[in-house]
Amino acid sequence: MKLMTSALLALCVAGSAQAQQEIKVGGIFDLTGITSDVGKPFAQGVRDGVIWTNENGGINGKKIHLFDVDYGYKIPEAVAAYKRMVGDDKVIMINGWGTGDTEGLKAQVNADKVPYISASFSGHLTDPSKTPYNFFVAPSYSDQLRAWLHWVKDDWKDKSRNPKVAFFYGDNAYGKAPIEAGRRYCKDIGVDLVDEEIVPGAFQDATSQLLNMKQKGADYGYINVTTTGVSIILRDAKKLGLNTKFGSNPYGFSEALPQVAKEAAEGVTGVVPHVPFGENVPGMKRLIDFHKKHHPDDTHDAMYVRGWCYVLVWSEALRRADKAGQLSGDGVKAALETFRDFDMGGLTNPITYTSTDHRPETKTAIYQIKGGKLVKVAEYDMPRKPEWLGL
Amino acid sequence: MRCGEFHTTYASDMGIFDTRRARWLLLVFIVALFAIPFTATSYWLDVTNRAAIAVIAATGLNILTGFTGQISLGNAAFLAVGAYATAYLGNKGVPFLIACPASGIIAALAGMVFGIPSLRLKGLYLAMATLAAHFIVEFTTVHWEAVTGGVSGTSVPSPRILGYEFSDDRRLFFLIVPVCVATLYFARNLFRTRVGKAFVAIRDQDISAEVMGVEVFRYKLLSFAVSSFYVGVAGSLLAYQARIISPENFPLGVAIDHLGMIIIGGLGSVLGSILGALFLTLLPEILRIVTSALSGTFPDLIRLFTPLRIGMFGLTIVLFLVFEPDGLADLWRRIRNWFRLYPFSY
Repeated sequence: MKLMTSALLALCVAGSAQAQQEIKVGGIFDLTGITSDVGKPFAQGVRDGVIWTNENGGINGKKIHLFDVDYGYKIPEAVAAYKRMVGDDKVIMINGWGTGDTEGLKAQVNADKVPYISASFSGHLTDPSKTPYNFFVAPSYSDQLRAWLHWVKDDWKDKSRNPKVAFFYGDNAYGKAPIEAGRRYCKDIGVDLVDEEIVPGAFQDATSQLLNMKQKGADYGYINVTTTGVSIILRDAKKLGLNTKFGSNPYGFSEALPQVAKEAAEGVTGVVPHVPFGENVPGMKRLIDFHKKHHPDDTHDAMYVRGWCYVLVWSEALRRADKAGQLSGDGVKAALETFRDFDMGGLTNPITYTSTDHRPETKTAIYQIKGGKLVKVAEYDMPRKPEWLGL
Repeated sequence: MRCGEFHTTYASDMGIFDTRRARWLLLVFIVALFAIPFTATSYWLDVTNRAAIAVIAATGLNILTGFTGQISLGNAAFLAVGAYATAYLGNKGVPFLIACPASGIIAALAGMVFGIPSLRLKGLYLAMATLAAHFIVEFTTVHWEAVTGGVSGTSVPSPRILGYEFSDDRRLFFLIVPVCVATLYFARNLFRTRVGKAFVAIRDQDISAEVMGVEVFRYKLLSFAVSSFYVGVAGSLLAYQARIISPENFPLGVAIDHLGMIIIGGLGSVLGSILGALFLTLLPEILRIVTSALSGTFPDLIRLFTPLRIGMFGLTIVLFLVFEPDGLADLWRRIRNWFRLYPFSY
């Protein structure tokens, strides 16, 4: 009897020790919604990053348990998933996705003190006095658009007039996130914003928007949707014979774009905060090794690399929080805010968060599609202006 | 030994409950309902609250479609009107006890405006007219940014009664479920009154109703008003429960879901609205549990969850229309009678 009791006790202790060895993290992904074209590779990157971390020592020996869910890019679904993860699964932080749901959840996240590291680079999430628990791993959408506008200014050779620019975006929080920043920056640097075209969430045809834009005489167009939408706009622009130079934000621009849009993608520029898969940087080795070991026949793109970058950042934060003995929402937030030029092995620029500024990085690389390949053409560093915080 | 239900007086025929036992069982059920907040985890409380809100909205639609025979695809729109009214009033500091009924009344007014075409339109044409209502409201919620906050949505403060803040799902339960029970009680009684009987008369044959002296237009509008009031109250509670509302909360799919609820539950039955709403709210939860339980064996299943849910929704509706056109309510009645009258039912 005594033996049994002690055996039971040992089992209980082992059981609870096992439970302690596990760090619970939530993952809210879009696998079926209007952004699933880029959501799927991102989610795979996060999942693979977690598997890799667990295979390579975990978080100081503790395993990460990822509770992931597909929310179909619907805000109410994300809210329900969030409630389930925080209430029932007791996750200590969440790797989120879209701008609408991230901005929608920010009040709840603050109340629950759950660090919410989402794939939305909305500039509205960078001011810790308003959104102390929101983080992301890239230059903000606003800084990206500024960098692209800067490139437009440099690329424009006709000095007799300013270049004319049009914005294409969806009528949702993601599409609109950098637009106000872009409008202001156009005025600052002498670019004429002549047109703003709204495109639906999922669309098959952009001819009417493009004809409008043509009428306004835009020389450049910035497309702020996802890969599928960008390829439709490029295809229709080619059909109409427009010679506008298009650029895209990082969710519309990756190795997938020349594959989908074919020759219409030639010469298109894009913002690339996370390098394309296979780029010759030191941090790429473990991705390639993992890829060869687990799924050598798959193809990957910059979205997949992005997912990895997220795991690299928050797993480091978990490690620091764990070392400080504060494996809690507040502990992880505090750990993230100790990041000072944290080296990402070239996958993206070094990451910095402080308690007064959650802009992780400010350098933005501009790539161009040349011969079906992504080639880096420029890089711009946006200053950390205080008036740009949260814009 | 009983072998059937026999009403010998008008009073018993009009009674809410068939038997005295049914009344006691219902009381026990309601008391048991209030054990949920003390046992359920916060997520299941969230599910319970959403289910209760769906019950109110489905009852509202059933009043219009099931009892009065006026098909409506505008339910998501009226839900949005109620929710945005609450968000606007709540942010202006209006307390729950005023904001919630006021949202219902605003939705009722909207319902009456969009119900005007029902004077001349029936069936498919009315469906189209209410569909137009949906798109008008959707457009308004996206573009009237001063009130609705546009596409990024607007946040809603926690409801308060006498300074007590209903800040989490457990507390909200004590707000939402009593409102749900009260609205159901009202709906059940509505159809024992002159107004309710007029609704049913219009559904069965509007010309005969007119001949009998029912003012068809007035009662149709009244039905739109009562129905939209219910849906508006549901929208108000939804806003308080979701804490943040955006146009994405009210897609056309919600209106279709509500129609699915009353078809599966049973058209023209209050019990049907309850069962249908519970069924369709719990279906995705059950699917989720099953898919995640099987995800160890079939890792790709989790990706199929969303399409599976839509597929199951469609399949259930077809199966119910073919095999159980009177819905869960009739199924429930037959099961109950079989047990009660066993072995001499005929």
